[in-house]
Amino acid sequence: MHTLVSIPDALSIVAVWAIVILMAWVLGGYLYAIYTGKKGRLDRFFDPVERFIYRLAGVDPSREMSSKDYFLNLIILNAFQCGLAFVILSFQSYLPLNPQHFPNLSWDLSLNTALSISSNTNLQHYGGGSSLSYLSQMMAIQFLQFTSAATGLSVAVAIFRGFSGRFGGIGNFYYDFVRSLTRVLIPLSFVAAIILVALGIPQTLNGYVLVKTLEGGSQVLKVGPVASLVSIMQLGTNGGGYYGANSAYPYQNPSPLTNWVEIVLMMLIPTAVIFLFGRMVGNRKEGNVILVSSYTLYAIDLVISFITVTTIGPGMEVRFGAFSSVFWTVTTTAFTTGSVNASLAAFNPLVILAAFMGMLIQATPGGIGVGTMYMLMYIVMTVFIVGLMAGRTPEYLGAKITPRDVKLAVIAFLSHPLIILVPTALAYSMGAAGAVGAGKGPVGFIEIFYEFTSAAANNGSDFLGTSANTVFFNVSTGIVMWLGRFIPIAVMISIAGNMSGRVRNIQAGLRTDNLIFAAVLVFSIMILVVLTFFPFLVLGPILSYLEGIPNGL
Amino acid sequence: MDSDAERGILTGKSAPEEKKPKLPVAKILEESIVRMNPAKLISNPVMFVVELTFFLVGIMAIDPTLFPVVSSGSEQVFYVYVAVILGITVWFSTLSDSIAEAQIRATASNLRKIEQEVKAKKLDGDRKVTEVSSKDLRKGDMILIEKGDGIPIDCEVLEGLAMVDESLLTGESALVKKAPSDVLIGGSILMSDSLVALVSVNPEETYLSKLISMVESSKRPKTPNETAISILLLGLTVIFTIIVAAILWLSIELNLGVDLSVLIALYVCLLPTTIGALLPAIGISGINRMSRDRIIAKSGKSIEAAGDTDSLLLDKTGTITFGNRMATEFIPLGGHSAREVGEASFLSSWNDDTPEGRSIIDLAFREGFVPKEFSSIGRAESMEFSAVTRMSSVKLEDADDFHLPKGGRDILQRRRVRRKYLNPDSGVELEISKGAPDAIKGSVPECPEGFDSTVTEISSSGDTAMGVTVGDEIVGIIRLKDKLKPGIREKIESVKVMGIKPLMITGDQPETARNIASEVGIDNFVSRAKPETKFTVVREEQQGGKVVAMIGDGTNDAPALAAADVGLAMATGTMAAKEAANLVDLESNPAKIIDVVMLGKQLLMTRGAVTTFSISNDIAKYFAIVPIMFASLSVLQKINILGLSPHVAVLAALIFNAAIIPALIPLAMKGTRFKPRSTMSIFLRNAVTYGLGGIALPFIGIEAIGLLLRLTFGGSL
Amino acid sequence: MKIPEKLNAPLRMAIVSMIICGLVFPVAVTGIAELAFPFQANGEQATFNNTSIGSYLIAQEFTAPVFFHPRNDSASGVDPDIMLSSAYAQIPGISNSTGISSSILHGIVDNFVSYTMFFFGTPYINVLQVNLYLVEHYSSVYSKYVKAG
Repeated sequence: MHTLVSIPDALSIVAVWAIVILMAWVLGGYLYAIYTGKKGRLDRFFDPVERFIYRLAGVDPSREMSSKDYFLNLIILNAFQCGLAFVILSFQSYLPLNPQHFPNLSWDLSLNTALSISSNTNLQHYGGGSSLSYLSQMMAIQFLQFTSAATGLSVAVAIFRGFSGRFGGIGNFYYDFVRSLTRVLIPLSFVAAIILVALGIPQTLNGYVLVKTLEGGSQVLKVGPVASLVSIMQLGTNGGGYYGANSAYPYQNPSPLTNWVEIVLMMLIPTAVIFLFGRMVGNRKEGNVILVSSYTLYAIDLVISFITVTTIGPGMEVRFGAFSSVFWTVTTTAFTTGSVNASLAAFNPLVILAAFMGMLIQATPGGIGVGTMYMLMYIVMTVFIVGLMAGRTPEYLGAKITPRDVKLAVIAFLSHPLIILVPTALAYSMGAAGAVGAGKGPVGFIEIFYEFTSAAANNGSDFLGTSANTVFFNVSTGIVMWLGRFIPIAVMISIAGNMSGRVRNIQAGLRTDNLIFAAVLVFSIMILVVLTFFPFLVLGPILSYLEGIPNGL
Repeated sequence: MDSDAERGILTGKSAPEEKKPKLPVAKILEESIVRMNPAKLISNPVMFVVELTFFLVGIMAIDPTLFPVVSSGSEQVFYVYVAVILGITVWFSTLSDSIAEAQIRATASNLRKIEQEVKAKKLDGDRKVTEVSSKDLRKGDMILIEKGDGIPIDCEVLEGLAMVDESLLTGESALVKKAPSDVLIGGSILMSDSLVALVSVNPEETYLSKLISMVESSKRPKTPNETAISILLLGLTVIFTIIVAAILWLSIELNLGVDLSVLIALYVCLLPTTIGALLPAIGISGINRMSRDRIIAKSGKSIEAAGDTDSLLLDKTGTITFGNRMATEFIPLGGHSAREVGEASFLSSWNDDTPEGRSIIDLAFREGFVPKEFSSIGRAESMEFSAVTRMSSVKLEDADDFHLPKGGRDILQRRRVRRKYLNPDSGVELEISKGAPDAIKGSVPECPEGFDSTVTEISSSGDTAMGVTVGDEIVGIIRLKDKLKPGIREKIESVKVMGIKPLMITGDQPETARNIASEVGIDNFVSRAKPETKFTVVREEQQGGKVVAMIGDGTNDAPALAAADVGLAMATGTMAAKEAANLVDLESNPAKIIDVVMLGKQLLMTRGAVTTFSISNDIAKYFAIVPIMFASLSVLQKINILGLSPHVAVLAALIFNAAIIPALIPLAMKGTRFKPRSTMSIFLRNAVTYGLGGIALPFIGIEAIGLLLRLTFGGSL
Repeated sequence: MKIPEKLNAPLRMAIVSMIICGLVFPVAVTGIAELAFPFQANGEQATFNNTSIGSYLIAQEFTAPVFFHPRNDSASGVDPDIMLSSAYAQIPGISNSTGISSSILHGIVDNFVSYTMFFFGTPYINVLQVNLYLVEHYSSVYSKYVKAG
């Protein structure tokens, strides 16, 4: 009889959670200070830098924006950033810092890549180590990884301002965006990058190294500016690796220690944002409810993934072992990062089921900024459905939930299955699934379904990898990634803008700041998501599990 | 058991003849069939979609070959079964609507009996009587009403004093006395004397016709929460449509062997049919219960807002206490006698039409303190009670000859007395005042010893003190006793338990107010309230986003009633108050505001409970149908935890789905069981009952129906 | 060409953010990394006779039977490590071709053990480390197989 996990494994989960929650708690306080404009010692350094940036961009960071204004600036900026990356990828052979003389990417692959990184998805239809120049890695990939993470943080802060109703509006997008970069992401990534270099991850602009191996064969060592990319791609829950094999590739994740450091990095900011929420709404217990709910869902995913014992096998890296590989895979989907440290095909179907749960819920705790945003979407729906049973018009944070809120939350919720299922069905009917070798059995179905689920959830892990570099998948997933990213953001900013001016009545109604509500919320999320996707999970991982497909799909 | 829950929340004295309205079964059945017309059903998208699937499966049953790949000729009988159950599902929903509507029509027809057209005696400028139909009266007409007449229309008494029977409207059997400026409600009956009245509304605007039209209006505007639920249901419908379409597509692409009828069964089971079918009935039943308790809601929104009440403003008088504080003692001060106090009180109260004033005269009369100045009272210049001065006074001539009017016991009908005893004697002018102690104190140069201590003693024992002056000297104090309404303490307690803050408003002294408040368990009160105080209090309470409910009847209350989120006006109140309020109580029972709040809560709860139940049900239905849906994937039998064979599983799930609708009609009509508890405990109870219960029940139900099907049909299914 | 007002700020911000995040940041990190951690920054290259013969982190091909062999199925395709059990399984063959006794080989291998969970978990060894040790300490046996350096 196997236990699900060994005692040291279980303890390591507890230890990582404890470390992350402690660090996130501290970081949450810092985030609160910088987004509410509290004066600090670091202002002396940051203020002039930010003033310079505002002047270069020609923006006034003190102007209060309407929700429409906020979103328009956000999406236009993202579109321009995406466009810049597209240009760099499409013309990298004419640009400097291309020591390997990689050719230009095709238009559809450039498009897919730019849409993918800018939407914080990082679905990789390109092989980073074998097709991107240093300049592309830096000024297309890393650049968008920073800005998409900053966008996520800005969205969260704006929504928190609106939901709390304590800030007279939702703020100014450029203020949030620039501060996210200068005071959060760049400093944290900088420290993380130096630590990662010290632990063995390359960081150089010298070209790939050609060596003669011990037996005299020739080998190319694909070094490059890796650490600076890995730090932001984990911290920003981007997940797009320097290499196609992502964090399974030893240069991206050389040891068990870097493996844990990278896990902590990807968990850190999404968890800190939850603490930020509690502080911004003026009741830390409200934040704690989200923390407990999201980590409970994360724990449920972990339990599912450990029901079947995973042993080390093909597709996994020896240095991580089976446990860390499973733990990483569940975590990377729970935080919708999407970086992988083993081939997904290495895992038994229940691990894949757990990965699906993370991507379908998107709030376990989910991606940077947007994870808490999805949680708020679920809270609006849950408070509305069950709150009536308390005999009052449902309220959240003292504000009544209006029909308009419900309408918008339903639109956000509804868009998710739509942008997953329609292209999945299209992939089959247009023959695109067959073209990439996805069979008609459950295995093939999982591969295609996972591709669009990952795209819609802005996760980025996938089965297909570079084999999906076809016009159909490049264009379809590109569209899905942007819709999956910006429909919910638009909707939730709109709700927040509306809520910001709503009268508050703090002490009445169903309390949302206790464990009872956390339990109701977890139940409700499970039911809502199960209701939506159960048949497809049955057709995919559950069917594989029942058919006794062990490891490898 | 809790009888409130059994009878519905409003425990008012509903007219007895309405207790068991006989519902016309044939009419209901006929109407429920008519309502199945798709053109009519489209207003309920969930059920409209179910009806579409009914037609679709119906076509499959007639000719399966029209649906290649997803249907099979050998399943034709099964398709017939599925189609029949789908049809019945739709019918159950139209049936619940029809029953609710029939109930409300029964209520309306009861009301209409009261409103029957009657002959009215219209007076022209020369007071000549013309007989007209009550339907032809217009606002501003003057009418004569004589003993035995039905009051033809809402009007206001101009002249006369009479007793009126309002029991048809209110169910209250005691006769009500009506004097000038009182309001008469059409449908009541004059039992004595005669009155001249001014018609205050046009026939189509009477409160009764408003009540009837509220009841009958089938196009009620949806309340915000109803709208939000409808949006949610529409959203779920779209989501399940996407899911089912995707399954169908994949099944064809991947050869999964899904039968269209089974897929449709899954679809219909997942659709929130329970709440979709019952949502309209819940709203209608709420209006119905309001109307049975004689409350006119100007919109459903106000009932819902009542459920959200955070602060409840209660007038002490009329709501918490009977208000007719009775004078019990004349306390002399400063060397005066009790007789002097009694006579002065008698005179000062002569024109005071309030119950207090009447009780003072009554006490003085019983004690024999009838003043000699009585003869000159007809010429007296009286200053009615003013809320600003908080005093009422009378200026009259000192007189020596005084005769007790004939029929002294009838002295309360002093308007007639006044007409008989006009006596133009002249004498010394005398000003007599009575009023609130502090106001009285402020109106005289010096205050006799013992005044303050007596006032404090009276106030602290919960009674009311009134000072009496003759000229500029305080002669004594009147003690008035107040009585609590029965059951008010419990009602206040239940209000507090639900997290609602009761706030008592009174013109009384702080001491008196504190006593009454603490006696009924109210922590917050406003004493020495002036007319504008209510408005200020409403605005203050609303500051924190709180929902404020209040009652009112006077013109002074109108601004506050308009400002409050829930304003309940008394039908006997002034026109301005009734216009400003969003609820009007025909029975004029102020304590009913508490019941309205409870009803509002119960309606919200019922909607939430059925919605939660409906969604929770889906889990079991998934487990019944999904494992058997993909015919080519036999391995899925491993998760067929209900263990039903394909046909049985589909039919059992569909039957459960349909049967739950009529099973919950009583819940929709009566509302969820509900005792006043804290918001969180109410929530937990409902969440367990309808959430967890909603998950568990269908597992049991579907399994049981499956067993029954197997026993009935054996292997033929 | 005139840029509409609404697009002006986002476009400028896009360019500014690209320069900061895509150029200034990685270049700054590279500078510090190259100064402070040149070995790691350049890919932990292994040297033999003062010449780079590859990286400890990247598996290289070994064909001769005298070497420990890396896996050839793995997620990255360049997994530099093998499980201890897999190393043990290779020892008899290596012992046969080199004449080094199995017990000595066991001892050498055990010296290079790491664990997947720091002190717990599955033991594994780095193939290149062990092979380099063998080459350096048993040069008489290995010299004819070594072409580098």
